[in-house]
Amino acid sequence: MTLAARALTVAKRLADVSVSLEPGRITAICGPNGAGKSTLLQCLAGLIEPDGGQVLLGGAPLPPGRERAQRIGYLPQVGEVAWDLSVAGLAALGRLPHGDRGEAQVAAALAAVDLAHLALRPVSTLSGGERARALLARVLAGEPGWILADEPLAALDLAHQLALLARLREAADRGAGVVLVLHDLALAMNHVDGVLVLDRGTLAADGTPAEALSEDAIARVWGLTARWLGEPGARALTAS
Amino acid sequence: MWGCSQAPQQATGEHPTIVSLNPCTDAILAEVADPAQLLAISHYSHDPRATSMPLGQARRLHATGGTVEEVLALDPDVVVAGAFLPPATAQAFDRLGIDVETFGIVPDLAENATQIRRLAALAGHPERGEALLARIDEALARARHDACPERLACPASRRGPKVDALLWQTGGIVPGEATLIARLLAHTGFASHSAARGLGQGAYVPLERVLADPPQVVIAAGSERMLTHPVLRGLVGVHYERLDPSLLYCGGPTVVRAVERLAEIRARIPLPPAGGPRGGPLRDERTDPPPTPPASGRGA
Amino acid sequence: MMIRPIPLFTLLLVLAIPLSLLAGRVWLDPWTTPNAAVILAQLRLPRALLALIVGAGLGAAGAAMQGYLRNPLADPGLFGIAPGAALGAVASFWFGYAASAWLLPVFALVGAGGAMALLALIAGRSAGIALFTLAGMMIASLAGALMSLAISLAPNAFAMSEIVTWLMGALTDRGWTEVRLAAPLTLAGIVLLRLAGPGLDALTLGEPAARSLGVSPARLQALLILGTGLTVGSGVAVAGIVGFVGLIVPHLVRPLTDRRPSALIVPSALAGALLVLVADCVCRVLPLVTELRLGIALSLVGAPFFLWLLLRMRREAWL
Repeated sequence: MTLAARALTVAKRLADVSVSLEPGRITAICGPNGAGKSTLLQCLAGLIEPDGGQVLLGGAPLPPGRERAQRIGYLPQVGEVAWDLSVAGLAALGRLPHGDRGEAQVAAALAAVDLAHLALRPVSTLSGGERARALLARVLAGEPGWILADEPLAALDLAHQLALLARLREAADRGAGVVLVLHDLALAMNHVDGVLVLDRGTLAADGTPAEALSEDAIARVWGLTARWLGEPGARALTAS
Repeated sequence: MWGCSQAPQQATGEHPTIVSLNPCTDAILAEVADPAQLLAISHYSHDPRATSMPLGQARRLHATGGTVEEVLALDPDVVVAGAFLPPATAQAFDRLGIDVETFGIVPDLAENATQIRRLAALAGHPERGEALLARIDEALARARHDACPERLACPASRRGPKVDALLWQTGGIVPGEATLIARLLAHTGFASHSAARGLGQGAYVPLERVLADPPQVVIAAGSERMLTHPVLRGLVGVHYERLDPSLLYCGGPTVVRAVERLAEIRARIPLPPAGGPRGGPLRDERTDPPPTPPASGRGA
Repeated sequence: MMIRPIPLFTLLLVLAIPLSLLAGRVWLDPWTTPNAAVILAQLRLPRALLALIVGAGLGAAGAAMQGYLRNPLADPGLFGIAPGAALGAVASFWFGYAASAWLLPVFALVGAGGAMALLALIAGRSAGIALFTLAGMMIASLAGALMSLAISLAPNAFAMSEIVTWLMGALTDRGWTEVRLAAPLTLAGIVLLRLAGPGLDALTLGEPAARSLGVSPARLQALLILGTGLTVGSGVAVAGIVGFVGLIVPHLVRPLTDRRPSALIVPSALAGALLVLVADCVCRVLPLVTELRLGIALSLVGAPFFLWLLLRMRREAWL
């Protein structure tokens, strides 16, 4: 189902943003600090009521409560886990909107993030990378049509970043739509299918990474003179 | 008697078995009932700080913790308690159909006599109640101020004016006029300092007020800091006496001890010289000269 | 997990209840002790049941509270409901509680209801947990201050001591009336808290993630307030303030479960019932001049336990 925003406005944070996202693709939301990236993501996830405009899922307004939770999985930026659950227990939390134990789905989610061998370990004993994958497994266990993640790669080293992106790519290949807030423009350029650039609450660009993150766009939005180096799929950004 | 009775049996013979749950009634019953009748007294009477009866006598009697279970196991004919029974205990007695004879706080000597007679009647020994009352009356007569039965010698202080006294209890509070101790104070020749100032039952008197507006005698019934502050003993023209707080709680035989103590305190207060200093500034006994009496020299 | 908590505590309870009937200041000899059957049927049996009821309510409330505040140091008293109920009870002393056996419990429940309403009003629509915690603490200190005021205004030392003694919490001389009052209310409260289970589980991930899982914060808060109000309020109404159960019991139970808040609620209820029953038996058999008060006994156990808990947490650096 298409996830779309029409004339989305949130006071002091977003102004008249309209986007349309297709499943099966990974879209990144990029922009400088304070551009409204998290706000847009939370509106799409149904966590913030916009002051104007609306969010549509499959052409209809977002359903409330559990129904929305079954369709959209949200991974917040701060991955807190209050109690020392096992990895499997953590992943099983993703089944709450469905109201079942969903052992098959939990096992599949753990396998997808390559944590099946750690299923019974307490979360407190995991490394940073394993913990990030466990939190993703929680989202995958709910088998949502849409995965919305707020800076999921922020605290990870490069190897773990690439590994997590690979998992998200697999989810997209299986038919889910993925939207990520990303700071790292090079990762966006190399690994996603579409980029939305926000500039102080307005949509500054919407297209392929090459279009939206062109050197002109970066100069306009980030105020930096930058050059892309390297080959497609392995680009690096230098700024002066 | 096993498991069947919900209510106490009617008195078998004239001397029913009694359980008392209150230290005041304990003390009276110890005087008017046979030891065999008094199945148990309250645990307060075994505590030297809370008892109103001689400790040796109390220890010869069995004490309960005040729970309904213990009372039931003793299976008395009569249960006697004070007015402040814990709510759950009172309701449990009520639920089980056990009548409890309640005795409130004694506000004056008439009520004291009524309670003693009532307890003596319950115990089936009305004559002992009268004997106790006679003893109390005799002690009251001996301690009475401003009246002097001819057959007893009377010290000079017994014929003087009433002494302004502040009875000061734990917490800095004073008793009201409608209390037994207030009436005993009046009986033994004291005027209530607090009542004269319009303070009622439970009013709080801070130390500074006592120093600024002192009575002729401070009677401290308690051992907390405010009541025993050294500054009270150094005040000129103000006497300081202590009173055992356990004399304040109950009527009955305690009245005898209370009036004897109050009379003793009264006897120790000399008549003030006419126009003499009262409650002057503190003076250091070691260095300041004693105050000179006024030159008028009018005798008492 | 090796030991399933619910069967374990159920078994322990089945063993403990008959043994508790033997505990008391009076050694019961069925053939010679007068009124032995009355003592058993009208005093010890309802008292044992009441200990179970009060303990179960406090245990469940403690588990739910810790889940909601995501803090293993939370205690049901933090919501201000126990102090509110106690304030109601203290007010009943002024109105002559002796007039009817129901006056004191009803006043206590009204006090609990007042605290609940105040809590909902202040924390209300936004349903944020930080505001909720502060509101609960404010209500607790307000109720405590009013109680101290009421106590200080008592007409004489005996009345004052009566109120203070009642507040210390006890099950002495309780009977079937108290059981009939507390049982349905506590049961209803535990049911509501159990219904809050899935929401508490989702809260493990934080408020935004919980909302993304479809949890309604307002509904969750309402369930918590009502559930805690019923369990804690009815417990205070019949027994006075009994502390530490809600704090200790979830800690004892948590290692036996998968640590999800929802999995803790019923086992904590059972363990709380067992704890209060055992503590009450100890109060009854200790050879002191009179029964040790239950609230005091639990505080004497609870404070060292709390210290041990803090030291262990510091070692594990889990806090």
